Amino acid sequence: MDDLQAALLLALQAILSGILVGGVYGVLSIGLSLAFGVMRIVNFAHGELVMYGMYAGVIASKSFGIDPLFILPVSFVVMALIGSAQYQLVFKHFVGHATLQQLLAAIGCALVLQMIAQIIFGADTRTATSFFSGQYVIFGPFFLSMPQIVAFAVAVVATLLVELLLHTTTWGKAVRAVADDMETAKLVGVNASFINIGAFALSAGLAGLAGSVLVTYFPTYPSVGFSLMPIIIIATTIGGLGSIGGTFLGGICCGIIQQMTAMLWNSALQDVPLYVLLMLFIAFRPTGFFGLRSE
Amino acid sequence: MTLLAIDKLSVAYGDLFAVREVSFSIDEGIVFVLLGANGAGKTSILRSISGLTPARSGSVMAEGKSIVGFSPHEVARAGISHVPEGRRIFPNLTVEDNLIVSFIPARAPMPAAQALAAVYALFPRLAERRKQAGGTLSGGEQQMLAIGRAMMNFPKLLMLDEPSLGLSPVLADLVFERLAEIKRQGTTILLVEQNATCLELATRGVILANGHVVLAGDRHALQDSDFVRRAYLGV
Ligand SMILES: Nc1ncnc2c1ncn2[C@@H]1O[C@H](COP(=O)(O)OP(=O)(O)OP(=O)(O)O)[C@@H](O)[C@H]1O
Ligand SMILES: [Mg+2]
Repeated sequence: MDDLQAALLLALQAILSGILVGGVYGVLSIGLSLAFGVMRIVNFAHGELVMYGMYAGVIASKSFGIDPLFILPVSFVVMALIGSAQYQLVFKHFVGHATLQQLLAAIGCALVLQMIAQIIFGADTRTATSFFSGQYVIFGPFFLSMPQIVAFAVAVVATLLVELLLHTTTWGKAVRAVADDMETAKLVGVNASFINIGAFALSAGLAGLAGSVLVTYFPTYPSVGFSLMPIIIIATTIGGLGSIGGTFLGGICCGIIQQMTAMLWNSALQDVPLYVLLMLFIAFRPTGFFGLRSE
Repeated sequence: MTLLAIDKLSVAYGDLFAVREVSFSIDEGIVFVLLGANGAGKTSILRSISGLTPARSGSVMAEGKSIVGFSPHEVARAGISHVPEGRRIFPNLTVEDNLIVSFIPARAPMPAAQALAAVYALFPRLAERRKQAGGTLSGGEQQMLAIGRAMMNFPKLLMLDEPSLGLSPVLADLVFERLAEIKRQGTTILLVEQNATCLELATRGVILANGHVVLAGDRHALQDSDFVRRAYLGV
């Protein structure tokens, strides 16, 4: 009886932590989902944009003594600008078709961005400290990390803001029209190139913002972005490429499954069920839970 | 006054010429019909007017100014709306958002809310469905939405690519009846069809075959043509 109760508590603890880290996986992923939904571009360098967001947090906290949470707008804007440059230089030519060349170009971008990070920041693992670092909340029998709670809250707010932007503003509606049918959006007077660059900047800005949140509890190193990509892609696939809310929930699913595996089975294998899930989704429900309607 | 003048327009895909030196011009206030069988080149002509498929050669003048080389959104902003083949509504946008994205403040003589009301007056069915996702509409409703969406641009020229395709005869009649109303309100129409019943609406037009104009004339000339008779006899 006691054993059962202990196992149940552990499972609940895993679910709670899973929701918290999953929310951050969600916000890491929505930018990728947006760029795919609008332009059919799979930005394999999305993780690198996250990585720069993380280093921005490290610099803010270690060099200037500023909490990484306070520089979120800066990370957003800087990465949005870098993302626009990346779009103009590389992705503009691939809009509308996720080809093999597009994937290779993106991986090339990722490697270049990693190398630049290594030159600037070195290969060492770096951490940032936030106001909440090391704090915990004890909630009944559960034990939750304060930085993760705060990061989750930021993730929820960011996701809601993006949803609001896409659903209520004229610009957002134009973005969704381009996502549905770029050619027809042009026919009704939407300047699709202008929308695309904006959507890509938003996607990159979100990556930077997510990185600066993540670094409050997760250390960074030049290849951290690459190691985050599988989770980002799995979250996006489960939730539905192109659906922002769906992708966020996909992130939460990933977080829960990962934490359950780690706590109840083996933390070295925490990502294995995620890959199994990825394969199941690709086989049986490739549009994810909330994939967009196609014509 | 001539609203649109096409002169020796050719459109090609690689080596294949879909449209060869087609010329016609459309006066303000009329319904001009482009009639032709499958593969005659009708869609190619509309797409090249809109800037989606660049012309191989020839000229396209709107109100006396060349629009060759314009991007599709620039053509729309010049007052030419294109209701594409297969309706192509935005499936994940609500009916109302489908209309809103097509509203261009700089072109509109009235605020968005009034423009919406005007479209809903034309197609009351859309008002009932305003909050529904476009992708959930029936074929007939989608066609109404596609036309309503084009009207949000207050076009000088409304181009429609086979609006009756896939609709029941009753619905097709309803669509043609609404087009007659749009014409009465003063919009010039370029109507592409295979279905000769649309000629009732026509002022003038051309018949296309294999990318060539085989006949140009007013409604009666077209109605009396071999093409139309054959189509009616089903030969
Ligand atoms: N994207 C394309 N690539 C290659 N060939 C094309 C393309 N689009 C059209 N064609 C060819 O050009 C010719 C004219 O096509 P188009 O679509 O303009 O005809 P249409 O009159 O609109 O026919 P339908 O009534 O079937 O819609 C056809 O032979 C078609 O196969
Ligand atoms: Mg056609």
